[in-house]
Amino acid sequence: MIKITGLIFDYPGHRALNDISLTVPPGSVTALVGPNGAGKTTLLRCIAGLETPLAGSIEVAGIDVIKEPREVHRTLGYLSDFFGLYQDLSVARCLEYAAASQGLPDGDIAGAIAKTAAGLDLADRLNQPAASLSRGLRQRVAIGQAIIHAPRVLLLDEPASGLDPEARAGLARLFVQLQAEGMTIVVSSHILAELDEYSTHMLALRQGQVIENRPLAAHHPAPGGRHLRLELAQPDERLYDWFIAHPQAALRLSGEDFVEFDFTGDSIAQATLLRELVEAGFPVTALAEQRENLQQSYLRSVADQAKEVSHAN
Amino acid sequence: MLINNPEFRRNLWLEFTGHRLLAMPGVLGLITLAIILADGPDLAGNLQQLAMTIFIFIVWFWGSRNANAAMINELRDHTWDQQRLSALSPWAMTWGKLFGSTAYNWYGGLICLAVATLAGLATRGAEILVTLGALIASGVLLHALALTLPLHAYHHRPRPAQSGGIGWLALVLAFTFFTKTTGGSDSEAILWWGMSSGRDLFWLATSLFFGAAAVFAAWRVMSNALQVRTRPWAWPLFAILLTIWLAGLGERTSQTGLPFTGLLVAMAMTYLALFSEPTGPVVLRRLQLCRAHGDWQAWLEHLPTWPTTLLLAFVFALAATVSSPPPLPLVEFAEGPMSMAQLPPLVLALLLLRDAGLFLFFALAPSPGRPIWATVLSLGVLDFLLPFSLKSAGMGQLAWCLMPMGKGNPWAAVMVVTVQAAVVLGLVSWRWRLVMKEEA
Repeated sequence: MIKITGLIFDYPGHRALNDISLTVPPGSVTALVGPNGAGKTTLLRCIAGLETPLAGSIEVAGIDVIKEPREVHRTLGYLSDFFGLYQDLSVARCLEYAAASQGLPDGDIAGAIAKTAAGLDLADRLNQPAASLSRGLRQRVAIGQAIIHAPRVLLLDEPASGLDPEARAGLARLFVQLQAEGMTIVVSSHILAELDEYSTHMLALRQGQVIENRPLAAHHPAPGGRHLRLELAQPDERLYDWFIAHPQAALRLSGEDFVEFDFTGDSIAQATLLRELVEAGFPVTALAEQRENLQQSYLRSVADQAKEVSHAN
Repeated sequence: MLINNPEFRRNLWLEFTGHRLLAMPGVLGLITLAIILADGPDLAGNLQQLAMTIFIFIVWFWGSRNANAAMINELRDHTWDQQRLSALSPWAMTWGKLFGSTAYNWYGGLICLAVATLAGLATRGAEILVTLGALIASGVLLHALALTLPLHAYHHRPRPAQSGGIGWLALVLAFTFFTKTTGGSDSEAILWWGMSSGRDLFWLATSLFFGAAAVFAAWRVMSNALQVRTRPWAWPLFAILLTIWLAGLGERTSQTGLPFTGLLVAMAMTYLALFSEPTGPVVLRRLQLCRAHGDWQAWLEHLPTWPTTLLLAFVFALAATVSSPPPLPLVEFAEGPMSMAQLPPLVLALLLLRDAGLFLFFALAPSPGRPIWATVLSLGVLDFLLPFSLKSAGMGQLAWCLMPMGKGNPWAAVMVVTVQAAVVLGLVSWRWRLVMKEEA
């Protein structure tokens, strides 16, 4: 859905994006992660056609963003990290203005407002002035403005910053719902826990470069098998050799009282493995699948990149 | 059609509330009633004058403030990105803001105009319509400028645009002062290119021309802000039109005055654009990449406007040299193979090239800071402080080599300024190579 090739963006005295190439598959929810200053906001603004890069190409739904930025605006919605609302307008008028300025025919605007308001739990707030809304509700109105023209791509820059836990949970539900409707979503944040619930892909940036762009394991199991961890009640020196010899286990990490390994078998094979371990006399206390969360995944990518850099040097 | 523009409609929602709709005619009605009750000697004349004064306050002052705020508020309240992402065309966005943000002022202004028309018809006859037309056109001109300036400034340096809303006041005051001092009595005719015209009629024509130019400028700036790229032909075209307008005024109406006026206009517009447009390594690198790819359309779209009027300045300088214009008052060359009057324009154009180069030199610095102030400071030192100090120290010839104004060989003056420009361009080239080396 989004294809970027050789993207370079310079600010005076600083290269914000350095020869970035990537793709974002349709229907995915991509977590755009990285430290402050990594280039996340600049990348989103380039994709949205709000900034003109120095070099490279960007395609959104087959439209060349650099050549036809105004065309792209019809197919995407964007929520800036510092969004604003027209304080003196009611929620309904904020949404009406957004719909009309996105070119929706007059006859369709009322329906679009009703649908968007219902999807965002704003139906009972339509007559309330934007200035009187809480931070969470303002965020929802801003998202409503970004999606009222039913874009195919939605770009969100730090959408959950400043929201309370309840509002964040509501936002997560909304993203899952939008994804189910076929929308491709790119969400930027440096608070990774909030992206964990709904992201299908991770795009990690650091110093203006892509350090990782891949599906997340929770949604796309690795080809090497599931990642399991076994824990013993007390150390057993046979443990390492036992797992090395096992045909379905590929050892990742081991200690005297635990191992982590990739297991290619299904859940029945896992039950068999547990029985064999107990029969072999290992004092097993736990055998469970390890799901790598986004934070771990990102940190692993950063560590891998650091290793690559040190090897290259 | 009007109401179908979402931006115009949004502004109407904000501007026209029930009590505001009633307040404006209420207040204006009370003021009119007070004048009528005062029962002065020239009631119709007083009413007309008062209505025009209130119009100037409501439309020129208050309206310009609103037009200025229309843009500044979008930038300050972070709603500008949403507008840039909309499907509205630059023209719809321009007139939606221009007439939407000032709709309430025009509402009050129209009431004033109605009173001024009725009172004026009784005292001055149909002539009043010309004056009122000029007032309206001037209002549009001021609103368009007040809308354009913060938007143009924002793309160069966002913060001043957001905090610099007070600029509208200086703008309107300057314009009011200008029209006041050039107003005079309509019985005094104005000569323009040999054509005689009444002052009000000339003011109307001028306001219409500059008003149309300001609206056009607002549309162009809006186009670029909405990522609809334009080619830089409008800026030099306006320089030419402004030259024609200015050269037609005053005593000198022959063609010989036009090139020299054009040179001064092109110089002023070059400095204005140079100091207000983004010009630095990012822009130059972009131009270089466009040229490398042979994409001349993109090259033109990304080209800043100041080189166009710089080029125009040289065209006018050559034309002025050929057509022997009157000498500059501040330049007096003693002797030389050419007539004394023939070289000043070329010297001025070369100085402009040198100054533009100096600005680029500072803009390409590793930490550019504020290239405008660095340039202004350097020019102050180069053109005034150093020559003055050297002359005071008895080194007049050395001072002349820095600023070859005053007595001297005109060919030498051209040579001196050419060398200065070449040195500065050499420095720019050196800085550019450093920028490229760092990038590599």
